[in-house]
Amino acid sequence: MNRNSTDSASGETHFGYSQIPYEEKQGLVDGVFKRVASRYDLMNDLMSGGLHRLWKDALIERLAPPRARAGYRLLDVAGGTGDIVLRFLKTTQAGEAVLCDINPAMVEAGRDRFAGESRVRFSIGNAESLPFPDRHFDAYTIAFGIRNVPRLDLALSEAFRVLKPGGHFLCLEFSQVEVPGLDRLYDAFSFNIIPALGKAVAGDRESYQYLVESIRRFPDQASFARKIAAAGFERVDYRNLTGGIAAIHSGWRI
Amino acid sequence: MNDATADKSGSESAIDPRLLEILVCPVTKTVLEYDRANQELISRAAKLAYPIRNGIPIMLAEEARRLED
Repeated sequence: MNRNSTDSASGETHFGYSQIPYEEKQGLVDGVFKRVASRYDLMNDLMSGGLHRLWKDALIERLAPPRARAGYRLLDVAGGTGDIVLRFLKTTQAGEAVLCDINPAMVEAGRDRFAGESRVRFSIGNAESLPFPDRHFDAYTIAFGIRNVPRLDLALSEAFRVLKPGGHFLCLEFSQVEVPGLDRLYDAFSFNIIPALGKAVAGDRESYQYLVESIRRFPDQASFARKIAAAGFERVDYRNLTGGIAAIHSGWRI
Repeated sequence: MNDATADKSGSESAIDPRLLEILVCPVTKTVLEYDRANQELISRAAKLAYPIRNGIPIMLAEEARRLED
């Protein structure tokens, strides 16, 4: 696998700070998650100081699924080891969820957490070409996943397609720090400490280096909001978490 | 690639029937046929057979078996 940049002007995306063709990115991202799957949850805690748990709580609070409405359907894309779906199932007594992730290793790593739970289903799928029908879900969530999708616009239009009219799109993602001072501290932490943690805990500095770089390459809050609106969503807004280290973007299919 | 002679389904790893009802071909968004014996979901429209592993459907075109005519 070639991590160096290529020269062609079109058909390229980025892998961390490297420019690569679209077709290559997915394979590289798959490799990262396959390598980190077993230590992924632990690493999230270390990297965010546990904050990712509060951010995920905030996502479900924003979703506010009806507690008792039978047939309410959530699609959680890039659902990984199930943090979002677990919270969803705790919040609603009647809602159902489909957890979709492109990486079987991540889903397998989290599957045991759902033992005996009949309201969740698992599917491997690509956010750019989802294996679900039009207008099927009441909500679509994606937490710390959309950054890894090579073609953002495709992922957003697929999200729009599978949502019912009235359906809610919610995205939790690392974003751009908007608090002076915190940005420099965060830079120092993420470029020095996170790759070192990755090496120490998951034995994989490179994968965590990718994670850090990919966060910086992701569009800022306002740019991402415009892309969501361009996919057809309305009432698009966002809310910063912890000074913009992460943000929750929201949109509705009307 | 796939061995059509062995029944790869297992009771503990069977695919959830409610998932089967909703899945469509990710390429064509059309219906799928469930091949229980081979644990595949077949898209006639895309000429692809998606494998089911440990009860989890792998709905990726690049992982699918190409169907001959």
